[in-house]
Amino acid sequence: MAGEPILEIRNLRTEIELTSTVVHAVDGVDLYLNPGETLGVVGESGCGKSMTGLSIMRLLPPGGRVVGGEINFAGRNLIELGDDELRRIRGNDIAMVFQDSLTALNPTMTIGRQVAEPLRLHRHMAKAQAMARAVEVLDLVGIPRPTERLDDYPHQLSGGLRQRVLIAMALACEPKVLIADEPTTALDVTIQAQILELLDRLKAELGMAVMLITHDMGVVAGRADRINVMYAGKIVETSGTRELFEHMHHPYTQALLASIPQLDQDTSTRLFSIPGIPPDLADPPPGCRFAPRCRLATDHCRSNEPPLSGVTPGHLAACWYPVDGPLERPPAELPSQAIAANGSRPVLLEITDAVREFPVGNPLLPFLSPGSVKAVSGVSLVVREGETYGLVGESGCGKTTLGRMIVALEKPDGGKLRLKDTDIATLRGGRLRRTRRDLQMMFQDPYASLDPRMRVGNILSEPLVVQGIGDRRSRNARVAELLNEVGLPPNSVDRFPHEFSGGQRQRIGLARALILNPAVIVADEPVSALDVSIRSQVLNLMKRLQAEHNLTYIVISHDLAVVKYLSDRIGVMYLGRLVESGSGDDIYNRPAHPYTAGLVATIPIPDPSLERGKQIAAVRGELPSSINPPSGCRFRTRCPRAQQKCADEVPALRPFGPAHLAACHFPLQEPA
Amino acid sequence: MITYILRRTATAVIVVIGVMLAIFAALHLVYPSPARAVLGLKATPQAVAAFNHTHGYDRPLWHQFLTYINQTVHLNFGESLKQNQSVGQLFKENAGRSALLSGVALVIAVLIAVPLGIAQAVKRNSIFDYTATGVSFFLYSWPIFFVCLVLIAVFSLKLNWLPFEASQATSVFGVVRDAKSMILPVSALVIVSVAAFSRYMRSSALDNLAQDYIKVARAKGLSERSVLFRHLTRNSSLPIITLVGLSLPDLLAGNLIVESVFNYQGLGLLFFTALGNEDYPILLAYTLVGAILVVIGNLVADIALTLADPRIRLI
Amino acid sequence: MTSIGPVDPTQAAAPLATEAELLAEHDAGQVYEQGSSWRLAWQTFRENYFAVIGVILVIFFVLFSFVGPYLYHSNQLTGSIADANLGPGKGHPLGLDQNGFDELGRIMKGGQTALEIGFAAAALASVIGTLVGAIAGLAGGLVDALLMRIVDVGLAIPTLFIILVLAVRYNGTITAFVLIIGINSWFVPARLVRGEVLSLRTRDFVQASRSMGATQWRLMWRHLIPNALGTVIVNVTFQIADAVLFLSTVGYLGFGLNPPYVDWGDQLSDGVTNLLNGYWWEIYPVGGCLILLVLAFNFIGDGLRDALDVRLRRR
Repeated sequence: MAGEPILEIRNLRTEIELTSTVVHAVDGVDLYLNPGETLGVVGESGCGKSMTGLSIMRLLPPGGRVVGGEINFAGRNLIELGDDELRRIRGNDIAMVFQDSLTALNPTMTIGRQVAEPLRLHRHMAKAQAMARAVEVLDLVGIPRPTERLDDYPHQLSGGLRQRVLIAMALACEPKVLIADEPTTALDVTIQAQILELLDRLKAELGMAVMLITHDMGVVAGRADRINVMYAGKIVETSGTRELFEHMHHPYTQALLASIPQLDQDTSTRLFSIPGIPPDLADPPPGCRFAPRCRLATDHCRSNEPPLSGVTPGHLAACWYPVDGPLERPPAELPSQAIAANGSRPVLLEITDAVREFPVGNPLLPFLSPGSVKAVSGVSLVVREGETYGLVGESGCGKTTLGRMIVALEKPDGGKLRLKDTDIATLRGGRLRRTRRDLQMMFQDPYASLDPRMRVGNILSEPLVVQGIGDRRSRNARVAELLNEVGLPPNSVDRFPHEFSGGQRQRIGLARALILNPAVIVADEPVSALDVSIRSQVLNLMKRLQAEHNLTYIVISHDLAVVKYLSDRIGVMYLGRLVESGSGDDIYNRPAHPYTAGLVATIPIPDPSLERGKQIAAVRGELPSSINPPSGCRFRTRCPRAQQKCADEVPALRPFGPAHLAACHFPLQEPA
Repeated sequence: MITYILRRTATAVIVVIGVMLAIFAALHLVYPSPARAVLGLKATPQAVAAFNHTHGYDRPLWHQFLTYINQTVHLNFGESLKQNQSVGQLFKENAGRSALLSGVALVIAVLIAVPLGIAQAVKRNSIFDYTATGVSFFLYSWPIFFVCLVLIAVFSLKLNWLPFEASQATSVFGVVRDAKSMILPVSALVIVSVAAFSRYMRSSALDNLAQDYIKVARAKGLSERSVLFRHLTRNSSLPIITLVGLSLPDLLAGNLIVESVFNYQGLGLLFFTALGNEDYPILLAYTLVGAILVVIGNLVADIALTLADPRIRLI
Repeated sequence: MTSIGPVDPTQAAAPLATEAELLAEHDAGQVYEQGSSWRLAWQTFRENYFAVIGVILVIFFVLFSFVGPYLYHSNQLTGSIADANLGPGKGHPLGLDQNGFDELGRIMKGGQTALEIGFAAAALASVIGTLVGAIAGLAGGLVDALLMRIVDVGLAIPTLFIILVLAVRYNGTITAFVLIIGINSWFVPARLVRGEVLSLRTRDFVQASRSMGATQWRLMWRHLIPNALGTVIVNVTFQIADAVLFLSTVGYLGFGLNPPYVDWGDQLSDGVTNLLNGYWWEIYPVGGCLILLVLAFNFIGDGLRDALDVRLRRR
């Protein structure tokens, strides 16, 4: 990298004062950013990565303040600057992009004025001039017909366009440094790919340096030149991207990468997992902060803090016993399952032409209603006993609605849902209640899915009570047995949900789903709310319990890697339709539908060599409205292969191999 | 937006019909027929029956209700029992003065409460914030008649600055010219309204301050002043529109007390006098008018909000 | 430093997986006891000075009003007209009122009715409101629309007006006031509970309970009401404060409780005259008690709201 760093942070320490404690959110961070490079700052939630970014901008939340260190930018220490001087830098020389584009834009101000605001402030432009420049910038970030958009309000734009506006606002004054704090976390993968590509292009065009703060190893693998890994308020490792992925020195980096399920992973192997949870930053442990969870830790680690050090100045790690290179995958020790691709197992669940539409507007005034949301439009699929069926798709594709229909939380407007010999859709009253024993659900948000007023013992025994199974003693015994199975201490029965961590709560959710010995468990985004290191624990647990109890899972997720790791077969949904289904290999290696191919291509992979070799994302544009979905093939508006036929005719599912189906008129391979 | 306004208006009409039904029921319950009041207590049952028949008080209830609606729509609220005038006429004479008192108080209250609430939120947990919160919390617990009494005790009796009776001028214009005597009545209404509004404004501004767009505005390099005036004020003032609509019943109640304490000739005093006379036509007619005012106020507030807030415009 | 670290990495090679890592999925770690969410809320509440002061004040007023008369004897049955308006002095620490009753003893009696009516009316309003709100939220559709229009009607009619009309019409007994105030104040809690039930219904834990086959009855009693209870409890305290204010206002206007009952508003009804005559002891002690009692309930309500909110924020 050329010359002097443009931004250099030395021994930055930031504290956040809460009512009774002080959290040492950033504790002695050193980093630098060279002109024109992208620096990735990665870590799990609460590691201090966002606080580092906010410290630079002096935008810390109430109670937060920088208590030590230097932030040198263009020869000046930002910490020592007065508020007025710093304001001249903010938005002008250093700009920031935030995660949530809905709350990050002022809801009652037009986007034109919001983009023009920094120009009028820093460049002292006249109104018309600033607006003209706003059009330029909006065009630059890829907003179609920017002149017409100037008078729009934020809520009139989709999430992807709003994120572009946010970037346009940050770039209006052509800053030298852009701090992007989780800029794509709230977006769908296809939109995420577009935004990341945009950031890359703008960086090159404008010659800025980008600090990319994210929790996603896949995002930095493809976009960052160098990476800083943070853990518990400190940088534990810093290195060039490729070097970090191939020759990491810190056991945390090593463990973190090993615990992410990969698309090409053998699904019969266990994921690596890091025991325990990160330390409380109000009272961090002495010595190395990772020591309590580290496989290599000794007493020396637990009492002495390791400095950032290394042979080459470009690659430093804070560890007394550094490692070299990735962890070897643990051997396959899960009992390998006979994959049901040949259809040898009996069919458990058969869904035929399921339809679900939600009316929009006031039910009392139907004539004023704009129509209905077509959540699920004619989906058919088959799930066999003991297999895991994965449903993937972006938000709004109907996967969650389908899942809720399977557990009879949602009544279909059409079609059949057969469990063994009964049609769930037609059941009522006592027979429905009885059938519910076989249909259980695991929810996404571990905070919302457990009643905060009930003790865990009662939460877990509720299914038994509701179904009238057993007496108090047998129920208690069953609860104790399940707590043991999911690895929670026996005293958990007397605890309340808020006393548990996110991962522990998700285990309770799994135990509750298991307690009735259901035939099917629908797991809706089971690990999306969890940090990577906790995620793998839950995934391993789900796999082990499936093997032990011959469970049938339907796993719903936007994360193709998670679905592929768990599933025997996968269905891809788009805007209420099932567009392709097949084995994990079919979907990943031999997709027939252009959407599947695009989805696979846009998912960031935590491997720089793969990620950089990728062709540019295939899925363009935005998701159409689900109230008035496109005619024919619903993907045609974003499909590179679309022709007239796609608009006229709804494509039917055609076979492309054993148990491999896709609905496309112009598939990527010849049908079988 | 048109559909939204249509829908909202339709609901308002339904509620007004409901209000009429409720008040008609109340009227029928407490005062089925004015016969005794008109004919005197010594009237024969035959005379009462004849009166009821000619005035329709023996018709089925639904028929009486329809008549009641019809009369109300034509602003015919019946005759006062004690004042020898139609209720409508009495309302017409007094409405202007009441509207002046309440309107001025409401405007002043909003003008004080909005900046006060925002200032408290911006300087939250400062001594200023604690003081303002404490004072508004304290005043919020005062019955309005006691506010009036203390104002009179201090400013009329102790300091002798202001009269303890409101203007007795008959025309609205006369009242305006006699502004000095209106200071205390208006202040009493302002004090109780500010106490309620400013607490609400403070929490609304706090909610908005926690939003990312404020952080983004700061990240653009805007000064705190600009963040405040260009971004925070508008967004956090929007809910006050709804609040003003919702607080109309309290305003009407406050108006009633203030007028009776300060002996101000308005609808409130009319109502108070009617209470003493058990003059039910006036009482229930004013209750009805108050309720309709509230419904219209809420409707106007909601429509104003759709115009002021682009997020609602498209629904 | 020349080597990568103090120890050669090749020598530090660890087994492929340590015991802890193998156990990671089997052992979710320890759980630390914090107590129920109610207890957490109570802890937060206890740390709120104002809320504690509120509780102390309420306890004081209960003792003052109900135990006080046994310790401080005064004749509240017949006033000594000869001593009317006597100032504070020996035997009468707060003087006598215009009818020759001992003020201090009278305030105690007024406190009894304020507390009795406040608690009972608030309880009545909350029970009706909770039931209506829960039914509307659970049933949805037409039932919900119908109940909510009734609530709209109730909210539109200014409460003080209808309370005054009913107070004039019916005898001023304690029961009458409990019914009059209670029946006209359930609209706000009904709307609050309905909103709460609607949002709770979509929450995952309720969905989980549904998916295991729980009946509506169980959902309501085991999940919805316990979780909506916080909102109801906060509202009850504000309802008490409002009921005390309504009672005093009606009393001030001269339509309060009939003798032998005493209410604070009635004691203040000759406020302006007493001010002009300089009989301060007939105004400020009563007014002070009234404000302090209302303030106490507002403090408690605010403290409870914060305490219950904190529980949600802490997750």
